[in-house]
Amino acid sequence: MKISRRTMIQATAAAMSLPALAEAPIPGPSPKPLFFTPAEFALVDEMSDMIIPTDQQSAGARAAGVATFIDARLAESFEKDQPERWRAGIKAVEALAREMHGKTFMASTPEQRLALLTRIAAAESDPKSDAEKFFGVIKSGTIRAYYTSKIGIHDDQQYKGNVIQPGEYAGFDAT
Amino acid sequence: MTLLRFRASPEQDVDLARTYDAVVVGSGAAGGMAAHVLTSQGMKVLLLEAGKKIPIEQELRSMQWPYDHPRRGDAPPGYHAIRFNEYNVRKPPYAKGSAFKHVFSYVGGWGGSDYVKNILVDEKDHPYTGTKYAWVRARLLGGKTNIWGRLALRLSDYDFKGKTHDGYGEDWPIAYADLEPYYDKVDLYLGISGHKENLPHLPDSLFQRPNKLTAPEVKLRKSLATMGRTLTPYRAGVTTDGVKNKYRSKCFGRGACGRRPGGCDIHAAFDSPTGLIYPAMDTGNLTLRTNSIGHEVLVDPNTGKARGVSFVDALNHRTYEAKAKVVIVAASTLESARLLLLSKSRQHPNGIGNSSGHVGHNFCEHVMGPGVTGLVKEMVGAPPTLDDGKPGGFYVARFRNLQDKQPGFIRGYGFEGGSGFSIFPDNAWGTPGFGGQFKKSVREHAGAFISMGGFGEVLARYENYMDLDPEVKDSWGIPVLRFHYEFSDNEKKMCEDMANAGKEMFEAAGIEVVGVDKNILTEGWSIHELGTARMGNDPKTSVLNQFQQSHDVKNLFVVDGSSHVSASCQNPTWTIMALAWRSCEHLADEFKRGNL
Repeated sequence: MKISRRTMIQATAAAMSLPALAEAPIPGPSPKPLFFTPAEFALVDEMSDMIIPTDQQSAGARAAGVATFIDARLAESFEKDQPERWRAGIKAVEALAREMHGKTFMASTPEQRLALLTRIAAAESDPKSDAEKFFGVIKSGTIRAYYTSKIGIHDDQQYKGNVIQPGEYAGFDAT
Repeated sequence: MTLLRFRASPEQDVDLARTYDAVVVGSGAAGGMAAHVLTSQGMKVLLLEAGKKIPIEQELRSMQWPYDHPRRGDAPPGYHAIRFNEYNVRKPPYAKGSAFKHVFSYVGGWGGSDYVKNILVDEKDHPYTGTKYAWVRARLLGGKTNIWGRLALRLSDYDFKGKTHDGYGEDWPIAYADLEPYYDKVDLYLGISGHKENLPHLPDSLFQRPNKLTAPEVKLRKSLATMGRTLTPYRAGVTTDGVKNKYRSKCFGRGACGRRPGGCDIHAAFDSPTGLIYPAMDTGNLTLRTNSIGHEVLVDPNTGKARGVSFVDALNHRTYEAKAKVVIVAASTLESARLLLLSKSRQHPNGIGNSSGHVGHNFCEHVMGPGVTGLVKEMVGAPPTLDDGKPGGFYVARFRNLQDKQPGFIRGYGFEGGSGFSIFPDNAWGTPGFGGQFKKSVREHAGAFISMGGFGEVLARYENYMDLDPEVKDSWGIPVLRFHYEFSDNEKKMCEDMANAGKEMFEAAGIEVVGVDKNILTEGWSIHELGTARMGNDPKTSVLNQFQQSHDVKNLFVVDGSSHVSASCQNPTWTIMALAWRSCEHLADEFKRGNL
């Protein structure tokens, strides 16, 4: 067993911001979130789509159902500190939104939301405040959910594997 | 323990009244090979496996897309895999006091724990104590061969005659020439993929179709060649052209082996059940009993010879006895030592086969952790290619202390590595920022990284040992192992060199080094545990002779990695099977002559 034994450490560290797993429904529009309040869900949905937006190549986190996946996992989390961490982080973001713009994150203008996200992302390598720490939480949650989604794997990454190769392997000979 | 006779459950309806020619404890690479060789020689064999037989294909689901799994591969709530930090800040037993319902080794946290939750042992039922150690165990038919990493390498006389070469430790009681024909047999019977390199320290196998390399790997291979070093396509214990075995398919390059903790649901990768055990059952000479936890090798009070194995049924917790003329222990390096130590009798007060006092000692394995990650600039922005549809990446053969002599350490290490696109862009974790720029950067760089990590030889030392914990027992009331083991200065110096050499090699190839990892992973991380019942010519300093036969008890054999005298830096599974084949051929001859 091999190189993956090393890379899994990184992956595990990153995935730690996500709860320990739950039976999630098929990702898609979720009119009634399982864990988040509707307001919290809207914030997570919007912020995840700002982290991985739609571009010319592929649709973004909203279309990939990132918030729905995160919500379902948190709803069944065995470790209670995980959902609490998300809830506290969202609160910190809302407090910052009021401080910066005098209204909730979702009531802010797109420019104001971007200003807030830019501010908490600036401290990514060394987050101090709860809002700054929440950026790491929602970013890794978004990465995990987006790049394991159909849109992430096929449309964005255009992944070529997980197919049957009846003949030679793809690649180059050792000559 | 006392023998109590209970009728087994119907699916375990195994005749325990008869005396088998041989009983084998353990069904992994070693036990499976013993079953194969002995049954093909006409011996009647009972194979005991501590774990269960499960429909493995339904567990592995090799081609399932992440989004088709409700938790994207993760296990249900309440399952927990021990993390790197937990191994180091705490001491075993790691699951003690855990609020989680099930606790697994670190492998359970790697790339989809739902696929191994019925393969790995639950640490709650299987505690151990002592010094920190990441002990990965799989209790099921076939053991760890169900999820092994598949790197299938031969050792050489640099390993077998290591003491002659550098003065440290002990030579093995065999040379490469003794084992070469059996490596050949293993190659042909099970299938192995690789590319011939003609290296004296990494002998070639009888290879089937090799893996391919990515463009960056070709570039690194060419650069290393100018340094006298060899990067070769991953030598995989995978049949790429097929073998005559109705239970196995050839490899179709689906690539699941790289994104999960191993496991191949078409059995192109070797596993003991389809490669060895099912064909052995087809001879009519093999009887299998699963859920049978061997806890004592029974001794004839008159002769001192082994007369069978006492085992606990994992499901009903009752104790049974299996009678046999020959006892073969193949429970894995650490479990085999535990079984020998548990088998105390008047004739063998320190455990059976342990008159030397060396059982549990001379433990060795591979140290890992240091490695290097590089960015291949010309691959940035290149269109996605199929890079992970093969049994593995690449292997860089040992280059230290062959002709040269390093000042800081003896023995050597090899690198395992990979590059290119995979199903998940790991570079996303380290890409800063957010938004369109972030997304584009992840996409453009996803296939442009190459990385490799070292696997180094841990010196066999008498002071590194395991014994039985006087108090702690497992869920079946059996005393557990207690570890007394830590890396020495030689391993630490070697690891410093791994990181530095890796960096130098990437730089020489024009690969931009973006990460150098110098941290050593917890003892045990490599899952290559060896030693504890080593072979040797001197009964005072070794447990087994060159045929893995106990010096003390002539009808007792220990045919797994516990017999290895030194760890080499090359992965052990192929050597475990070649040795077991050789020993069991000898065993069958001796048995027929009435010498056992």
